[in-house]
This record gives sequence, structure tokens and C-alpha cells, in this order.
Amino acid sequence: MEQLTEKVGAVPDRRLLAGGASPGPVIEVEALNVTYGDFPAVKDLSFQVQPGELYALLGTNGAGKTSALEVIEGHRPASSGRVRVFGQSPTDRAATRPRMGIMLQESGFSADLTVAESLRLIGRLSGRSDRVDRVLGVVDLTRKADTRVAQLSGGERRRLDFATALYGRPELIILDEPTTGLDIQSRDALWEAVDQLREQGSTIVLTTHYLEEAQQYADRVGLMHQGTLRSQGTVSELTRALPAAIEFSLPQGAPAPPIPFATRDGGAVLIETFELQRDLKHLLDWAEVNMLELSGLSAAPTRLDDVFRDIGTTPVPDTP
Amino acid sequence: MFPIARSELIQLFRNRAVLISGLIMPVAASIYFIYNRDVFSRIGSLGFVGALLALTIAVFTLYATTVTALAARRQSLFLKRLRSTAASDPAILAGLVLPVVGISLVQVSFVLGVFAVVGGRPADTALLVVAVLAGFAMMLALGLATAGITNSPEHAQVTTLPVSLGVIAVASWVGITGTESLAALKRALPGGAATELVVNAWDGAAPLGDSLLLLAPTLGWVIVAIALASRMFRWEPRR
Repeated sequence: MEQLTEKVGAVPDRRLLAGGASPGPVIEVEALNVTYGDFPAVKDLSFQVQPGELYALLGTNGAGKTSALEVIEGHRPASSGRVRVFGQSPTDRAATRPRMGIMLQESGFSADLTVAESLRLIGRLSGRSDRVDRVLGVVDLTRKADTRVAQLSGGERRRLDFATALYGRPELIILDEPTTGLDIQSRDALWEAVDQLREQGSTIVLTTHYLEEAQQYADRVGLMHQGTLRSQGTVSELTRALPAAIEFSLPQGAPAPPIPFATRDGGAVLIETFELQRDLKHLLDWAEVNMLELSGLSAAPTRLDDVFRDIGTTPVPDTP
Repeated sequence: MFPIARSELIQLFRNRAVLISGLIMPVAASIYFIYNRDVFSRIGSLGFVGALLALTIAVFTLYATTVTALAARRQSLFLKRLRSTAASDPAILAGLVLPVVGISLVQVSFVLGVFAVVGGRPADTALLVVAVLAGFAMMLALGLATAGITNSPEHAQVTTLPVSLGVIAVASWVGITGTESLAALKRALPGGAATELVVNAWDGAAPLGDSLLLLAPTLGWVIVAIALASRMFRWEPRR
């Protein structure tokens, strides 16, 4: 995926063209419930996605994020609640699809069509206009243009999937686990293309199992567990609620550290802190004064993984 | 609709199995019926041969291929992909079935044309056209309904059997024994009235008014099948 800058190109800000100077939320989800028979897959979900934002909807397996996303995509009706995309019902495909690119979690291409035929078909039906060769260039599938989909690797199919989403540079792009099955180079290239779309004003909704991607790229994150939105905010807002960790080992006979700590199995010392920089400096000063070596020293800020694990192990509160 | 139809046409011609079972075999069977037209017309009439030809195309090209193609497109999530675009559901369905409808009409026109040349012209060509179109509408609607209960192209080999064999059996029953006895039952069964209509159009044996009344049961099946399809058709595989 070389020369992305040139290939993505510059386009006018469609938000201004379409909606005026002060557009409302791109996506509005209010009290959404999705049930399958008696099973509540999504319970009272509410959130908004603002123009230009990259919103990551994350969750444990079975958390309900795919069901929620399918309602937003217009593929599934809500059992109750209200969902609006660009102020319209997402099932109004004629109104929403020309402004909205969808990268599905599963491929959904016909094995007997070629890459170019598939992209041309989906592109034309989307109501957006673009050049097939340009889009194939962005996802590095130019050389596969005349190859049948049946002969593509899993990663190449994901890239074709991405190509259908970014065809016509839509204002909103939904990426459902976009990097699953991609090698590291393709992942980097995909995020580079997403960055460029965002520079042009596109709004992105992302689900992913790679939390480091959400941590790195998302403006805001919604964390779902057992059908409910358990936490929402920027990555720093979410991680602020949990302590960072300092870990090291002390030599035999060393004095106790000056900060409250716990001892792990094997003797390693663990300090959990909400003031990582201050406590780390304090600890290093103490070690220097006492001429101690803190072997295996590591100091890590709270990561999204930690928040995710915390949510996964906390029981869901009863809803009234 | 037309971009979908174009892609569907490409897919049909690139899939050897569909090409052979859905497009070549019905023509081969038709050639057999035309070659042995004297035998079949002795059992029934020339109109009976015409009905067999029309329903062979309607069953094996139109009905079976529609069910197989829709099941395959759903199984591969191609239908879901199409619904991710701005195309409406009716436009998607119309685009998907348009090529096979077109191919079926070309086939039946060719086959009946050849039969008319070698076996004798139909008495009422306009009525024959109406009869064939009504029969095709019925088989297309039944195809949409059957696709709703068909999980995969392989499954289609089983789910299409009852209607396929049933329609051919009813056509043979009506064509060979006529409708002097059990008329109501024979006309009510799928393919019965359509067969009698083709026989009347080819042989010219019945007044036009009586023949046109036979459209009612066939169009009734269209309505029943569309009602079933609207309840049973699924856009995504069952989870």
C-alpha cells in the first residue's frame, strides 16, 4: 500500500456541503434494545458519535457490539429504542448509504466475480462515485484486479472489504474488525488510509479485538459487556480510573519500599499508583539513597487492556 | 437493479455446475421431447408436448436456478453485502432473478419456436404467450418462496424436488388424461391450469373465454407463493 497520500487525495469537506456549518451527531443511539427471542443481546444502549470522530465500540465476546452495529448499519431492526444515522433511520438505505461506507466483519463477496468487478458493483450500488483503479491502489490490490475473489487470500479479501467501505470517500465509515487476518504491513497501511480519510473529515466507527489499535487511534471508546455500555470516554478518561503499575525485585535484606506495595508470588514487588511519575521518582530516589538495585524494574501506565479486563470481571449491575 | 443483474449473469456463466444443470440440461430434455414428439402427442396431444417443453424450462431453468442462486448468494453473505449499499430490497431481488428470467424466456422462445416449425404451429400464439408468462410467474414466485427454506446450493437439490417433480407430474396427468374428470383438483394443483392453458392455446380445442378463466388458478399460485416468500425469505443465513 504505497503512496497513500497521493492515492487518497484531497476532497472537499462533505459535512459542510451536506449539512451546513454546524452538523449534529453523525450517529445517535438512544435506549437501544436488541433481543433474540427472550435473550437480550443489547440492553438500553445510548451513545452518540460526533462528526470527524473515531469512536471505538469494544466489548467482550457476546457483549452485543455486533448486534448494536448491525442496527446502526440498518441490517437489523431495533427491538426498541431509536437509532439515527445522519438524522435518518439507518434502514433508509437510499438516504444513508451514499454517505456511509461499511466494512463488514465477514467478506460477502461472490467467489466468481473478480476483484475489480466486485468493487465496481458495490461501489456503483452505494450511490457514491470514485475510480475503481484508485481505490484498488489504496488497498494495494491493483495487481489482483482481474483475479476472482475465490483465489484471494483471507487478508486480500479483508482489503477488498476495506476498499468497498472507502469507495467514494464517504462521510461515515463503519469498520467491523477491520484488521483481523491482516499482516502487520497491511494493518499499518489500513490505518494510514484511515488517518487520511479522517483528515478529510470522515467519521469512523470501529470495532476491534486489537485493543492497542483502539488505544492508539480512537478519540473515544465505548466498552460493552453483557449487552450494556459499561464505560465510555477518551482512552485517558477510561484508564484514569485504574492504577498504573510499578514492578521490580529487591535484593535479600533490603528495607521495605516507601510507598504502599504488594508482594507477588516469587517475591516481586508491585506498586499500584494513580501518580505514576511522582511515585516512580520517589522510588528511584529512595533506591539511590539506599544504594539498591531495583532489578527487573518496569513502570507501565494503565492500558485499555486493563480496563477491559476489569470490566470483564465486574458483575453487571441490575437494571431497574 | 441492472448492475446486480449484470454481475449475476457473469456469475451464472462462470459457474459450470449451474450452467450445466440449469441451462444446458433443460434444453437437452427439450430436444428429447421434440425428437420424440410423435410418441408424446399420441399419448396426449401436440399441446401436451408444448406444455411439457414450457414447464421443463420453467421448472429446471427458472425455478431450480432461482432457488440455487439465491441460496448461494445468501450463504456467501452476498445478499448482506448488497444490502450494505443503497439498493432497495426489491431492486436487489429483481436484479438477482432478472438474468435467469431472461435466459428462461429466450430458451422457451427458442424451444417452442423449433417445436412449432417441426411439429406444427400453435392455434393461438397470443394465448400461448399469456399461458407461458403466467406459468413462469408462478414458478418464479415459488422459487422465491422455496429459497426461503433453502440453506445452501446443495440443500436446493432437496428442497426443489417436491415442486419440480410435482409440477411435471401434474402437467403429465393433465396433458395425458385431460380435465374431463377431477377438473377442479387438476386445475387447482400447481401447473395444472397452466398446462391446460398451453394445451388449449396449441390445439385450439377450447373457447378463448374458458381458457382465460384458467389464468385464475395460476395467478392464485403466484399470490400464494409471494405471500409465502414474504414470510419465509431470509437475507442472511440462520445463526
